[in-house]
Amino acid sequence: MRFKKILSTAAIGAVSVGVLAGCSGGGGGADDENTLVLWSVTQETTQRAAMDAIIADFEEANPGTKIELEERSVDEMKTAMRQTAGTDAGPDIYRYWQGAGLGGELVAADVSLDLTEYYDEYGWEDRFTPTAMASITQYGGYHGVPFIQATEALYYNKTLFEEAGITDLPTTYDELVAAADKLVAAGITPIEFGGTVNWHVMRLLDSIIETKCGAETADALNTGDGDWSAEPCVTEAFTELKKWGDDYINEGFMGISNDDSSQLFFSGQAAMALEGTWLNSQVVDNGMDPAEVGIFPFPTGTGRLYGFGEGLYVSKSTDKADLAAKFLDFFTSDESQSGAQGAWSPISANKNVTPSDTDTLAHYWVDMLADSTGLYVNNDQNFSTATTGEYWRIQNLVLTGDLDPADAGAEFQKFRDANK
Amino acid sequence: MTTVNIITQGRRKRRPFGSQGVGTAAPYIIPALLLYGWFLLYPMLDSIRLSFYQWSGFRTETPTWVGLDNYKRLFTEDAVFPTALLNSVIWVVLSLILPTVIALLMALGLNQKIIGRNVMRAIFYIPAVFASITVAAMWRWIYNPTLGFVNQLLEAVGLESWTQSWLGDPKFALASIFVANIWQAVGFSMVLFLAGLQTVPEELMEAAKLDGANAWQRFRAVTVPALRPTTVVVIILTIINSLKVFDLVVGMTGGGPAQSTQVLALWSYTQSFTNHQFGMGGAVATVLLIVTLAIVIPYMAWSLKGEDK
Repeated sequence: MRFKKILSTAAIGAVSVGVLAGCSGGGGGADDENTLVLWSVTQETTQRAAMDAIIADFEEANPGTKIELEERSVDEMKTAMRQTAGTDAGPDIYRYWQGAGLGGELVAADVSLDLTEYYDEYGWEDRFTPTAMASITQYGGYHGVPFIQATEALYYNKTLFEEAGITDLPTTYDELVAAADKLVAAGITPIEFGGTVNWHVMRLLDSIIETKCGAETADALNTGDGDWSAEPCVTEAFTELKKWGDDYINEGFMGISNDDSSQLFFSGQAAMALEGTWLNSQVVDNGMDPAEVGIFPFPTGTGRLYGFGEGLYVSKSTDKADLAAKFLDFFTSDESQSGAQGAWSPISANKNVTPSDTDTLAHYWVDMLADSTGLYVNNDQNFSTATTGEYWRIQNLVLTGDLDPADAGAEFQKFRDANK
Repeated sequence: MTTVNIITQGRRKRRPFGSQGVGTAAPYIIPALLLYGWFLLYPMLDSIRLSFYQWSGFRTETPTWVGLDNYKRLFTEDAVFPTALLNSVIWVVLSLILPTVIALLMALGLNQKIIGRNVMRAIFYIPAVFASITVAAMWRWIYNPTLGFVNQLLEAVGLESWTQSWLGDPKFALASIFVANIWQAVGFSMVLFLAGLQTVPEELMEAAKLDGANAWQRFRAVTVPALRPTTVVVIILTIINSLKVFDLVVGMTGGGPAQSTQVLALWSYTQSFTNHQFGMGGAVATVLLIVTLAIVIPYMAWSLKGEDK
């Protein structure tokens, strides 16, 4: 009886120890000193193949090393990076958006490793375009290496435009609205958006703000101390947004995701999509004939192109910084990037790489960039996450008719004032 | 000696530590207690503690004491909190009415000796087995404005004017999610009620029938009192589960459109893990805890008192 009690106590003790040991949890980074963990957003077929190819080449050139690539959706990527910040569960290298509210937030939280010594060692500053480098040095020091210089514009279906009788591409905002009216008259959905992800329709709002406010005021509002309740252009912009939501965007857009709505463009059921350079390969991957597709900039009238940058950052918590830098040097090299044939963006951040000849839509971007005077960035990259959440809430309240466009600016400014 | 006697007379008989007491039970309880303490109690208390601080959640930043500031901001500045609180209360009230009544009716029906009742019991219970996020994904497709079952069915029977953006229109979104919740929650309560119905005394039922009581009178006089302990359990579980609803909302709408389907648990999570405001998130979580306790404790006290009678 006594033995039984001792045995049972010992068994329970062992179980408890096991339970608590399991509680301490494993880290996410690879333990092997020659393995790097790389986190990225989920990529389309062409893009994933290009990344796998470069990884395979690096592993071949550096026997014994291994790169583990993990992909997540846009929102899950942001969540995962935030949750693992400051812990050992994060990756060695992460691909992230460079704006103040995203990449900048992680820099401020000490997640990103300052790569100054590697820029000196590898001479990276000479490899990238000035625009690309500006995004790297904007926080002081050198954070990340440029990966994608993404620009966004209006993709359109040439056949549908012809059907609606649109002969000239819109060069002003009023012409764009007129074109949308023609499409509606022809029974065609002018533009598609997926409302559930918020940042999709946000592109339209950002562009209309740029249009109605002009570059200087828009910058003050988005990245400075501008007063959203005091600028009349803000009310104009929200009024226009409501009009687009009521008349020109695909029906029921508030309840579907951008993945679902994009299918409308790919299948020829919507005439336009406000997307970026990544769509060049997605258009092909989703069965469209690239000859059917054209691209023109959102006619803001400011001469600036809509866009943002993505970089490959090294985690400060990694103990394999040298190996990570070596991989990044290989990844961004002329050879690797030319070999990728512009899979991620027709315009490479590497200034020695020319657009691929197989990407028939690349020339649109080259021309647009050549003509543009600068960039205006997606607001979810300018704002902090809390502010972005409020921006989206107000955007959606206007679209559902629950907030008068005239009150939108003041409502947003109230939040900004309370959260300075 | 006299003093000792008085003291020992006043004491209750002590429970033996030995073979029948705490000593035997302890080894079996301790692992669970450890898990409970580490994964439930500690985070709960830490959340309450964090509600008095301002902290971004990044390990590289130290929390700053702000006292009751977060609570003040919650009730005066947070534009989403009132909606989240109202939605949570609506959710609880509706959960107590709809899925509970439906479950009871289903249990009563499936308690009769009918052909295939075991198959039907299994079918109605299966949704309760699905992970909530799977239920959310399924119903998101059912509600899809163009390809979803609901709108397609309405169009097929000629009711095209009734089609809506079920998850995209703030007027319908919360109700739409709630329908999915009914579908998922009803099975579990039904099983509990079925178990409870087995305790209804047959003799009393027979006696009531002989006395000429009709079905409704028999239900009220015999079934309901016998089901009382089960009903208490179902109601408490329903209150607790409905107050902490999260998966369905995050899976179907993410709190949208325009935060109109936001609920307390999800708003707490959003404030902490998305907006990096752990103090505000902790404050919302504490409010949720207080609301839960304020409902559950009086109810439990009232129902237990009723049992003692």
